[in-house]
Amino acid sequence: MTAFIIRRLLWTIPVLLLVIFLTFVLMRQIEGNPFRRTDRAVPAAVQRNLERKFNLDEPWYVQYALYVKGVFTFDLGPSLVLRDRTVNEIIKEHFPKSLELGVLAFVWAILIGIPMGVIAALRQNSAYDYGLMFITNVGYAIPNFLVATLLIYYVSLKLGLLPTNGWQTWEHKILPSFALALAPMAYFARLVRGSMLETLQQDYIRTAKAKGLRWRRVVTVHALRNSLIPAVTAMAPLLGFIITGTFVIEVIFSIPGIGRYFITAVTSRDYSVVMGITVLTSVVIVLANMVVDILYGILDPRTRDART
Amino acid sequence: MTVPADPRDAVATGTAAPDVVAGAGAHAGAPMAQSNLWRDAWRRYLQNRAAVIAGAVFVAFVAFCVIWPIVSPYDIESDPVNFSEAYESPSLQHPLGTDKLGKDLLTKLALGGRISIAIGIGATLAILLIGVVYGSIAGFAGGRLDNIQMRLLDALYGLPYLPFAIIVLAIIGTNSLWTMVIALSIASWFTAARIVRGQIITLKENDYVRAAKAIGARWYRVLTRHLLPNTLGVLIIAIFLELPGVILGEAFLSFIGLGISPPEASLGSMAQEGREVYRVHPNVIAIPSIAIAMLVLCANFIADGLRDALDPRTRETKDYGAPQG
Repeated sequence: MTAFIIRRLLWTIPVLLLVIFLTFVLMRQIEGNPFRRTDRAVPAAVQRNLERKFNLDEPWYVQYALYVKGVFTFDLGPSLVLRDRTVNEIIKEHFPKSLELGVLAFVWAILIGIPMGVIAALRQNSAYDYGLMFITNVGYAIPNFLVATLLIYYVSLKLGLLPTNGWQTWEHKILPSFALALAPMAYFARLVRGSMLETLQQDYIRTAKAKGLRWRRVVTVHALRNSLIPAVTAMAPLLGFIITGTFVIEVIFSIPGIGRYFITAVTSRDYSVVMGITVLTSVVIVLANMVVDILYGILDPRTRDART
Repeated sequence: MTVPADPRDAVATGTAAPDVVAGAGAHAGAPMAQSNLWRDAWRRYLQNRAAVIAGAVFVAFVAFCVIWPIVSPYDIESDPVNFSEAYESPSLQHPLGTDKLGKDLLTKLALGGRISIAIGIGATLAILLIGVVYGSIAGFAGGRLDNIQMRLLDALYGLPYLPFAIIVLAIIGTNSLWTMVIALSIASWFTAARIVRGQIITLKENDYVRAAKAIGARWYRVLTRHLLPNTLGVLIIAIFLELPGVILGEAFLSFIGLGISPPEASLGSMAQEGREVYRVHPNVIAIPSIAIAMLVLCANFIADGLRDALDPRTRETKDYGAPQG
């Protein structure tokens, strides 16, 4: 087990380097740099000094090495547009809000999605099952900006129950996180339903039933625990979805999170911020993948060798 | 991830089991006189009611998008701007109402649908092309190359495509239809590559491939004549598996203002226009969004039906995969 964890930890290093490299290569393709874009002419000497300050005069591999060093020492450099702020400060200010939004969405998805899946599986082919699966199909297909605007329109404007935008009190957080949670909820429900159906056909479930355990106990202790393993693995791909979703949800609900800031940074060509945020989200995902793999290895020992 | 079979599928394939055998080895005494793989698949597809309805709705919507702008009494581009008719409610003249410039929303929906579907299909084909090239190299070569390629995929897998798509859009600069296709396909081809690789590896062990090799067929002949044609079924399924993510991705990009440049408008950019006024005129955002949802829902059901029809033996790729977009 220890060997497995160590191997898995080591494997993330080349992955991180590769992801940073790709972002780095992509960013270098963007035309021009922000210092050349300004309308007022900057003297050549000043231009050179600026480039030296931000290491733009070094060859690309030196810049890459410096950037990698920065990422691993948690220093993503200065913002290129807001000259008095560093990318670190910007992330520190905006990231926690996005994180909170994402975590809340996960909580919704787990709290509602998993019971939905369990109920659908236990009442397979009943009206409950079909109804729930229809809901998940729709939840899968609706773009979350529609969910968000409908929620604002009906809950906030028509009923006046919750605020329309902002991120101050817990009341502000209900609608955005719920709108973001809809598709993950549907995903969890489908996944849990599927694995639950499979688990319920296993011999050990029949044994548990045969030795006279109460059905409730068979379901919760024997079936559910094993059925949740796929849900654990689903966390990692879902994280990517949640991150993408925060971009849209933050714009709609005017939440000052990192996704909304990313869009501002792209339009103002603040490359160091764009790159910092992209690398940050990628690192989060790579690390989440690692945690999930390790968790999976613990939960299901058979997978240890297959998933280095 | 291994997601077990949907019970509906179990029923469907259970009843269709004899045909599966017939489809796989049609020459070896098929029960029906003229059964072939595609006809069997078509019959199995027709048995899935949800997939049939979804397919019909999908075709109808595409036909509407193609035909309606031609026959419509309104011309979005050349009709004069008429603010006195802005944001009208649905009426006989304008079945879906009008937009902020007083233009007919039904016609606009068809035009937006055209662009969204074009981008969706373009990006899906690009994804499949990359996936086929990458996946068949990995699957066919095997060994160390396969290992390296798969490790690379592992590394890239799960990366959020939106930031990368946004960066790609920034690199190219102008947001045309092609830009959107490139941006959307560049970070979404990983699943397709995996599917193709898996299929090639399975096929490689088949007797007819060994036979072809034994009689001295070159590697490219084995690949192009025996392996790739047999991935066609999986690829057709993959089209409808990828399409929803691409359509939603395009909608998201447009919605946050990074979509195709005006005056052209996709469904996503129509939704973005509606966002300005959703408090007063919720229908302006709801109409294109519902169209998007409908397309995605249909594509999901079609993919389901196609999978049962074309690939009844596979169980691994049973669910949609994580939601995209």
